[in-house]
Amino acid sequence: MAYAAGVDVGSTQTKAVIVDERGTIVARALTMTGAHVTRAAEEAFAEALRAGDLEEEEVEYVVGTGYGRYKVTFGNTQVTEISCHGRGAVHMFPRTRTVVDMGGQDTKAIRVLPTGEIQDFCMNDKCAAGTGRFLGAAARALDIPLEALGATALRGEKAVRISTTCTVFAESEVLGWLGRGKKIEDVLLGVHESIAGRSAGLARRVGIEEEVTFTGGVALNVAMIATLSRALGVVVNVSEDSHYMGALGAALFALDHVLAARTPVRQPA
Amino acid sequence: MTPVTTFPDWQGRPVDEVLKRCAELLEDERYPSVARWREAGGKVAGHFQVYFPEEIAHAAGMLPFKVRGGPVEAMQADSRFGSYLCSIVKTSLELALSRRVVLDLFVTHPICDAARNLGAVWGRNFPYPCEILYLPQNANSAHAAAYLRDEYDRLRRTVERVAGRAVTDDDLRRSIAVFNENRALLRELYALKRETPWLVRADEAYVLVAVGGLIPREEHNALLRTVLPLLRARPAKRLDKVRVVFEGGFCEQPPLDLLRAIGRSCDVVDDDLLIGLRWILEDVPLGGDPLAALAHAYLEHSSYSPVQHDLRKPKEEMLLRRFRASGAQAAIVTAAKMCEPGLEEQVAYARALEGAGVPFFVSEFEENMTSFEQLEVQLETFVENLLFE
Amino acid sequence: MRQAAGTTGIVGRGNDDGARLFRQWFHELAEAAEANRPAAYVFVMGSLGELMRTFDLPVVFPEINSLQTAVRRVAHEYLNEAEDYGYSPDICGYVKADVATQLRGGQLPMGRIPKPSIAVYTNACNTYIKWAEIWERMYKIPTFTLDVPGTRAEGGQTWPGNPDFERDRRYVEAQLRELIPVLAKVSGVPFDVDRLREAMGHANVLGHAWKRVLELNGSRPSVFNALTDGTIYLGVANGFRGASEGAAYFTDLVEEMEYKSAHGIGTLTDERSRLLFVGVPCYPIFRRFSEMFTELGGTFVGSTYLHFASGGANLGYEYDLARPIESLAEGVLIGVRDAMDNMFHQTPVLLKMIDTLAADGVVYHPIKSCRTVSTGLADSRRALLAARDVPSLFIESDMMDRRVVSEAQLKNRIDAFFEGLASRRAQAASRLTAQGD
Repeated sequence: MAYAAGVDVGSTQTKAVIVDERGTIVARALTMTGAHVTRAAEEAFAEALRAGDLEEEEVEYVVGTGYGRYKVTFGNTQVTEISCHGRGAVHMFPRTRTVVDMGGQDTKAIRVLPTGEIQDFCMNDKCAAGTGRFLGAAARALDIPLEALGATALRGEKAVRISTTCTVFAESEVLGWLGRGKKIEDVLLGVHESIAGRSAGLARRVGIEEEVTFTGGVALNVAMIATLSRALGVVVNVSEDSHYMGALGAALFALDHVLAARTPVRQPA
Repeated sequence: MTPVTTFPDWQGRPVDEVLKRCAELLEDERYPSVARWREAGGKVAGHFQVYFPEEIAHAAGMLPFKVRGGPVEAMQADSRFGSYLCSIVKTSLELALSRRVVLDLFVTHPICDAARNLGAVWGRNFPYPCEILYLPQNANSAHAAAYLRDEYDRLRRTVERVAGRAVTDDDLRRSIAVFNENRALLRELYALKRETPWLVRADEAYVLVAVGGLIPREEHNALLRTVLPLLRARPAKRLDKVRVVFEGGFCEQPPLDLLRAIGRSCDVVDDDLLIGLRWILEDVPLGGDPLAALAHAYLEHSSYSPVQHDLRKPKEEMLLRRFRASGAQAAIVTAAKMCEPGLEEQVAYARALEGAGVPFFVSEFEENMTSFEQLEVQLETFVENLLFE
Repeated sequence: MRQAAGTTGIVGRGNDDGARLFRQWFHELAEAAEANRPAAYVFVMGSLGELMRTFDLPVVFPEINSLQTAVRRVAHEYLNEAEDYGYSPDICGYVKADVATQLRGGQLPMGRIPKPSIAVYTNACNTYIKWAEIWERMYKIPTFTLDVPGTRAEGGQTWPGNPDFERDRRYVEAQLRELIPVLAKVSGVPFDVDRLREAMGHANVLGHAWKRVLELNGSRPSVFNALTDGTIYLGVANGFRGASEGAAYFTDLVEEMEYKSAHGIGTLTDERSRLLFVGVPCYPIFRRFSEMFTELGGTFVGSTYLHFASGGANLGYEYDLARPIESLAEGVLIGVRDAMDNMFHQTPVLLKMIDTLAADGVVYHPIKSCRTVSTGLADSRRALLAARDVPSLFIESDMMDRRVVSEAQLKNRIDAFFEGLASRRAQAASRLTAQGD
């Protein structure tokens, strides 16, 4: 059995996924990226090997992705996370035609063909509004742990309208609403709706085609799944491996190389 | 089409109620007056900022509808444009994409680069004629009037095609008469603002002007004819607030709430809000070639704005003239966010006002901004400083 | 012709000569500045270089000067100065860099430029008008707006013989006749229609040759990079329009490109993707921006920038020297209108270029500074994709402001685009192989 791996170096977290030759995930691992990117990549990979009870030599090809993809020095090649999220999403949900990836730092909308090939994409990585960072700012302002955000927001009944376009002012706007007597649940729901609205706007730039798969760390947030589905007008697919979608896609690209190395090159007739 | 009154709600009501109904119509994103017009079988000619010779569309029996953004979120329109752009272009397209307003013709003008692009974008998204009316930016050429007359004639041909009927010179003269009356009534309203500002607040005067862009001009004339005497007779106490000139509302419009906020501490005695509806300063003569008369009026008897170049009317001089003629004490010099001509003019305005020793307050706005606390505090501070001088 | 064909010196000659001409141009400008001689400030879309030459007026192109500050990595100083003066971060970076240049007495990295004695501009870009108003206030100089009525609606372009066209042409001609005495007064040179004929003759040669050069990039491999080499050609096309040097330069350039085409000499060792560029280049990281494409085997074979920034010279319009002013009006109307169409209605242009230049993909580059070029690009791209299944990339940055240019973000998107191109090629190849079985 041959194995292939993908390492996704994000600005806050690094994820590693190992797949077998059928493309089944046999191991996954996650570390904090921190200041030493290469080390984080190495650690994530090492942890994934341990989790899968594998030796390094058994993994025949490694693809690096994410903003730190060029720092995965032990990798064989790099592929952008745009391609990787598309590939990973289609692998998980074969009828995926649109991917919305919400990371901590950026949000992407990707149109994919059935092959996983990228047709078009649009990213918001200039501005934190519409990304996970906005959630982080709100969580800080409300003094609620990130993990509890989704469940709290879902209890909201009448979402407030968040008008601020800048994350820097998000905190003060959130506090402003609380000061006006609004419930935390309603404010949080409003924050989620604001992010979902912006992400849906990105998706409309590439065109929303069903099925839509929601990937990235924020996809584990139950309120975001609900508000994004509403904003898109479509129920989104979510995998419990949402966080690892980029690394999975990278691993699948790595697997291509493993399988190609075995197949004899076809000679033209 | 069957005869229709698109905006009957104000008739027979006391003046405060009339003003309230006008504000509601302005903020109603379903555009009921336009919808009623269509239901009665009428056609709608949408025209973008700043100035459009509405008489030509009116003469063909169409409703000229002033496209000037709106209180909507540009959900579909947003994906048609990039990031660094004024809001009015996006919300305007949104009105049409979301079918809140359905047009039979769309015309834009070479006021700025975003507006010219709007013609191309609109044309790609709708099947009806979408064009640029190339008003002259070389208003000083001796040939400009002849050129403009021919350009109006070209527009007339488009309007005839869309309306499915001919537009004769007599049709045009009849329409010019209607609009002459409208402009005269608006001048009366502005005289009232200037001479007795306590009788009509900034936002009230604004809604009276703005509804003209949404309803048939005949209805607007009837509304103004009724309201002006009611305003004059208003039992309002004379309260002398700081008299200001508001500059920067020639294209994207500030939200009504912002005008209300300004109105709390100032009397807006003159402004360039929706200047396109008041562009022609005196009656257009009815004799002779009506298109030539309209072209002549556009070039020779018109107001000024940052988007109309004319060597005879340097903007800062015109602003100072407006300031003095209205007996103002200060100027509020605004620009819509991302509005290139507005932002550029602000620099010249600020320098000229400073040189002339006129107190002024500089700000930016966006048509759909919802929080003005910061702005209001700054404005109040500015006004307080003035009062203590 | 400077060098006979067949010698290796011909390859790269255009870039060398272009650099030399640029230095010559700036040397003349510095002399004019020192001697306090009159100079005309003009713009790339409708520079009327033919007329300026007729009056011995050296031409200053503020757009070109501003972009040079970005290429030479000092734009941020100029932008900061203009913003301190009061100009918003949200307005055109070219305007701001020029304001700072004026505040510095005309000092630029390339040398000193003279003050304007007159500004002549068209309405092809509304910002030109506001820009000239700035000089009008600063220097109290005459400014001249040449109204060029553009296309009223897509597909609605009219041509000589059509009454609407003739009305527009008459307006342009009337304005040119009003401009001529103003130029005579400012320059102190009396109007000589034969000199105008001569300048228009040179412009004819330049236009024909430029059109031919652009066509030659249909060769495989392509013979010049429309993004990088193209900027040099544009500099000469603008600075030397109506001059004998401009005519000679482009005649030589045709010779060089025909030579390269005949001998299969391209721009990359391995030309894998032929791309079209839509927008204004990213001057703050000019070299690096290009490398992000060439590193992956991509070259630009065409660009709408080469059309509109040459004021429509790409059309190769032939002036009729027997009726110089009437023909100048017609040529300016057609050329400047075409420049506007390349910014607002570029989809038909791109569809044609995809075929004639065998392009594999289209890169749209809207910029923060310029609403003229950028406002309609997202929608225009939609129209292109609806008409043709062609890979395209949409990346935003700026042509002046380093603050909104993120190399890492651009690289991420460019890499993803090339991954898509490679994947597409692989799919196409495997389909072919499958068919071959």
